Formats: sequence, C-alpha cells, structure tokens
Amino acid sequence: MLKRLIFNDLRKNRLINIATCIFMAVTAMLLGLSIFLFARLYFSIDMLMRDAQTPHFLQMHTGRIEEERIYAFARSRKDVEKMQILTFLNLQNSQLSIGDISFEANMQDNGLCTQSKSFDYLLDAKNDVIYPKEGEVYVPVAYKNEYDIKIGDTFNIGNEKLIVAGFLRDSQMNSMMASSKRFLVSEADYERLKYLGSEEYLIEFRLKQGSDVNAFYTSYKDCSLYDNGPAITYPLIKLMNALSDGIMILVILLVSIVILFISILCIRYILLTELKKDMRQIGMMKAVGISGKDIGHLYISKYLMLSLIGCIVGMISALLTAKKLSINIRDLYGEPENALFIYILMLVCSVIGQAIILLSVRRSISKTKKQSAIEALLGNADISKRKNMWLTASVIVASAVFMILVPLGMKDTMADLDFVTYMGIGNSHIRADVRQNDIKKETFRFIDAIKNDERVDRYCLMQTGSYKVKLENENTYDLMIENGDHSAFPVSYKKGEAPKNENEIALSILNAEEMDLDIGDQVIVFMEKDGKESECKCTVCGIYSDITNGGKSAKACLKDDTAPIMWSIIYISLKDEGSVSDWVNEYQDMSDGIKIVKISEYLDGMYGTTIRNIANASFLTVILSGVIIIVVILLLMRLIILKERNESSLKKALGLKTFDICKEYFKKLSAYVLSGIVFGVILGVFLGQRLAGALLSMMGAQGFRFVIDPLSTFIYVPVFIAASAFAAAFISLGTIKSISASECLNSGME
Amino acid sequence: MSALLRVIDLRKDDILKGISFEMQAGQMIAVMGPSGSGKSTLLYNVSGMDQADSGEVWLYDTQIVSLDEDDKADIRLNRMGFVFQQMNMLSNLNIIDNIAFPAVCADRKNKREHYIRAQKLLDEFHIGDLAQRSIKEVSGGQLQRACICRSLIMDPQIIFADEPTGALNRTAAKEVMDAFLGINKKGATVMMVTHDSWIASKCERILYILDGQIRGELSLGKSDPNEDKNREQKVVHWLESMGW
Repeated sequence: MLKRLIFNDLRKNRLINIATCIFMAVTAMLLGLSIFLFARLYFSIDMLMRDAQTPHFLQMHTGRIEEERIYAFARSRKDVEKMQILTFLNLQNSQLSIGDISFEANMQDNGLCTQSKSFDYLLDAKNDVIYPKEGEVYVPVAYKNEYDIKIGDTFNIGNEKLIVAGFLRDSQMNSMMASSKRFLVSEADYERLKYLGSEEYLIEFRLKQGSDVNAFYTSYKDCSLYDNGPAITYPLIKLMNALSDGIMILVILLVSIVILFISILCIRYILLTELKKDMRQIGMMKAVGISGKDIGHLYISKYLMLSLIGCIVGMISALLTAKKLSINIRDLYGEPENALFIYILMLVCSVIGQAIILLSVRRSISKTKKQSAIEALLGNADISKRKNMWLTASVIVASAVFMILVPLGMKDTMADLDFVTYMGIGNSHIRADVRQNDIKKETFRFIDAIKNDERVDRYCLMQTGSYKVKLENENTYDLMIENGDHSAFPVSYKKGEAPKNENEIALSILNAEEMDLDIGDQVIVFMEKDGKESECKCTVCGIYSDITNGGKSAKACLKDDTAPIMWSIIYISLKDEGSVSDWVNEYQDMSDGIKIVKISEYLDGMYGTTIRNIANASFLTVILSGVIIIVVILLLMRLIILKERNESSLKKALGLKTFDICKEYFKKLSAYVLSGIVFGVILGVFLGQRLAGALLSMMGAQGFRFVIDPLSTFIYVPVFIAASAFAAAFISLGTIKSISASECLNSGME
Repeated sequence: MSALLRVIDLRKDDILKGISFEMQAGQMIAVMGPSGSGKSTLLYNVSGMDQADSGEVWLYDTQIVSLDEDDKADIRLNRMGFVFQQMNMLSNLNIIDNIAFPAVCADRKNKREHYIRAQKLLDEFHIGDLAQRSIKEVSGGQLQRACICRSLIMDPQIIFADEPTGALNRTAAKEVMDAFLGINKKGATVMMVTHDSWIASKCERILYILDGQIRGELSLGKSDPNEDKNREQKVVHWLESMGW
C-alpha cells in the first residue's frame, strides 16, 4: 500500500517531485564532486610524494660548492636519513623548442637533469622511476597539454636534438606555481649538453620520520652552508602541489554548501506546499485515528525515496563531471591507490548532505503534528507564515547572488595586475631576472642599456643577498634581503609600509611569524661595509605577503656594495604600454642569461590554470544560480498563490481583474527580489572578500583588496538574477486566471 | 446497563455552552439545529477530534477530554468510525486501499486479513466490484458508502457521521441512509449530524441544538419502513415547534 501511495504521488505530482529530486541530486552531486576531487588530489599528491621520495629540505645554490662540507654537516645530524647533491642544467628558454613551438615566452626556469640516485625520483605515468636512454628526453607532464607535446616529437636545445620519450611527474616542481621545470635526460646526454647552460645545485635532505623540518632549516642556515638560492621544505612543496587545483575545489565546496542551504529551503517550501494541499487528507487521516507519526512516515518514506534517486543521479553526475575535472590532477599526480576509499568518502558525504535535507523535511512534517484533526480537516491549519515565504525568496536570491560573486571576485582579483603586489612582486610592465653568470656585471650591463632607452618610463633595481640578523632576544637568523628603492614599484603591505631608510626593514609574513616580530620591533643586520664587518640596527616598518622564495624574504635599503648578490631583479615600466611585447622580444634577443618577462604573462604562467579553473567554476555557478532562482520562485509563488487563493477569489468577487491581482503579486515579489539582490551584492562584496581572502591566503596572498568588476557585480549579475526571478514569476502568475470568484463563497465553516 | 457514550457539561469557546446527554449501545441518534448552532463542533469535541475547554466525554470507562492527542488518535482508530460530508479519501489510493488503510496502519502484520475484510464490507454495501477503482471513478453515493465501509473496518464501538448525505442527491442520499440503517440494525451505534428532517426521521432519537445548548429531544423508536411518512411528519412538526 505504501509503495502504491508513493508511486501514485510521484506520478501525479511529477513536476514538483522532479524539482525536489533535482535539488537533492544537485546537492549530492556538488558535495560528492568536491569531496571526490579534494580526496583524490590529497591522496594522489601524497602517493606521488611517497613514491618519488620527495626531499624534506631542499636548498638551491649557484656557484662552486665543496661537497664534503655538506656531507660532514649531514653526518653530524641525527635527523638526516639520506642526502644528495643534484645538478640542474639551467637553459635559456629562447634556445628551447619542441617541433615548431618555441619556449621563448615560457615563464619557467627550464633545465636538464639526470635521474636521482637515492630519492627525489622523477616518475612516469605509472609512478615508476624513469631511466632514459641516450638521445631521449622526458618532458614535465605540466607541458603536455600546454604545448600539445606527443611522444616522438623532437626537443631542440639550440642545435642539439632529443626525442621526447615520455612525460615525467616531478613531485617538487609539478605545479605551474613552482618556478622551475626539470627535463630528464641520460647521464651521457647531460654531460654532452653541459656546455649549453649553467649548472645549479640542488642540495637535498630526507629526514627521519618525526623530525622537525623547520628546526633542520634553521640549523642548515646557522652552519653558513651553501645557500644563495631559495630553500624549500616538504610542507611547502605539498602546498604548492595542492593549490592550483585546490582553489577550484574549494570554490566548488563553497558553492555546494550554499546549494545545500538553498536546497533545504526549497525542499521545505515544496513540502509545505504539498502539506497545505494535502491538509484535508491529513485531517481525514487524523480524524480516523492515524497517528501523527504514521502520517509523517508516509511523507518521510516518499522523501527518502526521492533522496535515494537524487543521491544516485547526483553521484553518477558527480562521477562523470569528476572524470573531466580531474584529468589535470590525474596527469600531474597519478591515480591514487585507495580509489575505493575515495568513492566511499564521496558517498558518505553525499549521504550526509541528504541526511541534513531529510532532517529538515522531518522538522517541517512535525509541524502537522501540532495541528488538531479538525483544524487540518477544515483546512484552517497554517503551517507556513506568508511573510516568511516572501523573506525566503529574498534570502535565496541573496544566496544566489553571493554564490556567483565570490568565485567571480576571486577570478577578477587574481587576474588583476595588482594581484602580484600581494605576492611580494612589484607591479611594473616588465620584470628582468638576473640569476646566472656574473650577476653584478650582467645587471649593470642591462641597466646601462635601458638607461638610455627613451621608451623606458622608469625602472628600479632590486638586489638580493643573504644576511645574518640578530633579534633582541639574541636569536640569530639568516635572511634573504632584497635591497633597492621599494617605493618605485611597491608591493602591498598587510601592515605598515615600505622601507625608506637604511635603518628600516620590511619582512614577509612567514618571516615575521617565524621570528615573532611586529611593526616597531628591532633587528640587527650584520654586513660588510668598506671591508669591515658592521652592524645595522633596523626597525621593522612593514609586513607583506610573499609567495616567492618559499614565502621567506625581507626588503630593506641597505647600502652594502661588498656582499655577494644572489640575484637581481629589474622592474621596468614603459611610456607606451602597448609596446611591451616588442620591447621584451628585442631585449630578450640581446640579453643572454637574463630572463625578461611581461608581468601579465608572469602572472598567467603562475596562476593561469587556477584562474581558468575558477572561471569554469564561476560559469557553472551562474548557470546553476539561474536554474535555482527559476525553480525556487516558481515554487514559492505557487505556494503563496495557493495559500491566498480564497483572498484572490474574494478580490475577484469584489470586481478586481486578474491583471490587478497579478500586479499586486508582481510588486511584492519585485520588492523582495530587489532587496535580496542588494543584500546579496553587499554580502558578496564584504563577506566574499573575507572568504576569498581566506582561500587566497592559502596561496600566500594576505591583506589584499578584493577586486570587483563593477559591470558584472552591479549590472550583469543583478540583471541576470532579476530576469530569472521575473520570468519565473510571470509563469506562476498564470494560475491566478484559474481562480474563480465563486470559490470564496464555499469556504466558510459552521 | 451503563451508557456507551456519556457527555457531561461539555463546553467549547462560545459555541458549546454546557452540553450533556447519553447514548446507549446500538442507538442511532441525529443532532439537528440551524447553521452555527454548534452541531458539528459537538461531534468534533465528543469524538476527540477537537479539544473541549471543559466537561467530560466518557466512552464506556474512558474519559476522552483529558487524553492527549496520541491517545485520542488511538481511540479514534480502534474504537470509533467516521463519515464526513466531504468524502475525504486518499487520492493516491484506490477504493479498497482506502478502506483497509486504517486497519493496516493499526496492524501491519495482518495486511491480508484486513483486505479480505475490506472486500467483504464492500460486497455488503453492493460496491464490491469497485474495489480497484480510483476514488475519482465512482459516484458520490458509491464513494460515501465506501467511506462507511472504512468507518467499519476496525469494528468500532460508535460511528460519527457529519452530514453524510449533505453533498449527495436524493437517490444517493437514500442509498447511504439505507447503509447506515443496515449497520445500525446489526448493532452499530451511530451519532449523526444532519440538516435533513427526512434523514433525522430514520434515527431513534433527535437532539435539537440551538446556541450551543440542547433545547429539545425527540424519541422516535427504531426505524420502521412502514412508518416512514408519519415519522418524517412528526419530526417536521417537532422541529417547527422548536423554532426551526
């Protein structure tokens, strides 16, 4: 009987049941999808880093090294399990091409390496260690789609040629956010091609389980070992790997939570509409003695069934979508071993989402328990207040606007050129990095060239060196300090401002946190001046976020000509922004060993994938929001019209036309929809900023300003939402025509 | 012999103002009165569908007014039957499902027996062939007879009927009334609210309510088909004397 009751209800109220099922399915799909992608990313990265045996600490270094000093340091430490020194042959991007496609515009530091001996392995698609044959090269998998590379293509380095034998997964440089990419060749080829580039060292350590990586980092720096390049730790590598896809997943998770909230509201109103319609039948059941529990059981059984169908449809759609969205994760990090566990996790999360919906259904049904049999039988029971229903329309419109604005704002913020200034990089047109050969000589040769170039509006030189600093509590640290004029192309400061004098220093957030320093605190910087060692007392004047150099940097204006320079960066702005590409091409040809890039391309190279992922998620959100608004307004209007049927009938009996009644509804809906839009925009701009801030701070950007595109935020999105709402209202108001003037005459009770 | 139903000083808002009466098992009584006099409210409060403000309603030794909603529901399910003017049935179930529904809710284990009894009841009321029909596929009279079947499925001690013929034409009303007389003959106790003097004349007793109080009572004795006309005339005269 129960089956028949449910089946007949599903058949008769097809539209409303489909709408309920869609809400349940969309919730299950989004929750399942975000959990699937999240778990898959987490486990794949974990597996890759385990199979590749990623180093726990990695120090890059250019220039001569005495290997024995490092081995002696490693032997002296109980926490070191393994160590190795790898070489990386840095190549000019202008020399590189695959087939006809040149790497000239590539932003990464590309180079050759050989397979590691004991850890930090470069792996193939099956996560097996690759041993290339002579004449073969394995290309970073991140380039596979970007350059449409196929096995058998020719990889050219100047006049030398290698055949692409496959693609490699590099557990530490896989992400586009990592600034270097390693191409794997045989040892014989590496030796043969050495003359084409300059060698860098990767000094790598694997620590014993449970060792403190940060403590090891500090000890390494304290021993004044080779450290003129960035140092990276295991957690940072993991974070970099997770970020480019992780941000998109977090956006989907955020959207799925908003959808869950909307689904609960909608299903509640669908159910209330149904209960209102069924009130006489409920009254009859109560009158003949069916308990409230049994009546509730009838409804719960139906919703349980809808939930089951919704969950299955949602899971299937989630799996289909996940397949497409996880292609990048699969290529970069491989298939996780515990796929079954991920599927179970996905199912559990979808089921939890459904359970939350069903709990809310149960709560709504319990409202009927409070009604006496006779109230229900005579249709006098009021289970939903009208005011609340209009307010619900407003809340859902606000949620939909919010749901669109957050990812849209994140995308616009990241795509904005100012975004680099939250990353510790000055906002100029062009950035030139000098990291090879005789850095000082190359830097000044380049500066001499641009000094007399009339096209250059302004430029600024930043030179980075390693300094020892002492705090007031006598603790010492090694800091990479970037010296120069920080007011020319300033970064954005979370606190304070840029250093202007020699006795001021600004710290990156990670350094300020590690050293426990705030604005106004003092540090002593040791340096050499006129051949003598001297001290400079500096006050912390600013704190900024930085993703470069592992997030640990400092900025000052130290006048120290004798300290070795680790690298130089020259920021350049041109008078004519339109000629930037030509200028870059021209100088790239002239300046071997200097990497000259457009800031916009630099940004695209680093965050392009993330921005595109978020843009896809935004597009999906816009479509989803439109559908939700149409369905929700249709349902709510239907319920309101049903509740006010007698009043409308009376109005008709008194001589009002259908058009007049429709006009009243339309006015009311417009007021609530428009206030919802205004509230949603305010929420999106202010709360959205906080939410996006929390997401972006995971990428190292803190204290940033949320960029909003006024056209999208204040015109396109509100117009789209309002149009969807009014279209739905237009359809639902059609039912008013069917209300007859005589209905109100039959509705009295004795 | 103790009364099946005892109502003592029953009050509800300003509609019922202290109503008292008794009913013996096997009686069929009609409650009459003008619109707004409180007839339906009396039925709802006596049956526990509505909560009275004060007073007592005894169904044998059970005081209904003081019970909570669940216990009242339990009494309605197991010891009372209901027939309404609007033939309320679950639109998603067919006729026999609707009749068996209260029994299945009360005892899910013996579903088959409940359906056999439901079919037997349908046959008794000459609508056995409509068992599998949808409620929209039968006439008003047939549907009301099906509602009577439903009211009997749990073998109740008393049946409450609120204007059971109010929405029917004369022929259908006669069919329904014959059904009521049939079950009363077999011993069922029926309390019926009606506007119709012809229906009331078929009952054993008539209570006349005005402004929430019983203003008069007429005893007619058991219905006799040969006396139909006289009984109806007697009722009409009596009603006129009551100011009807």
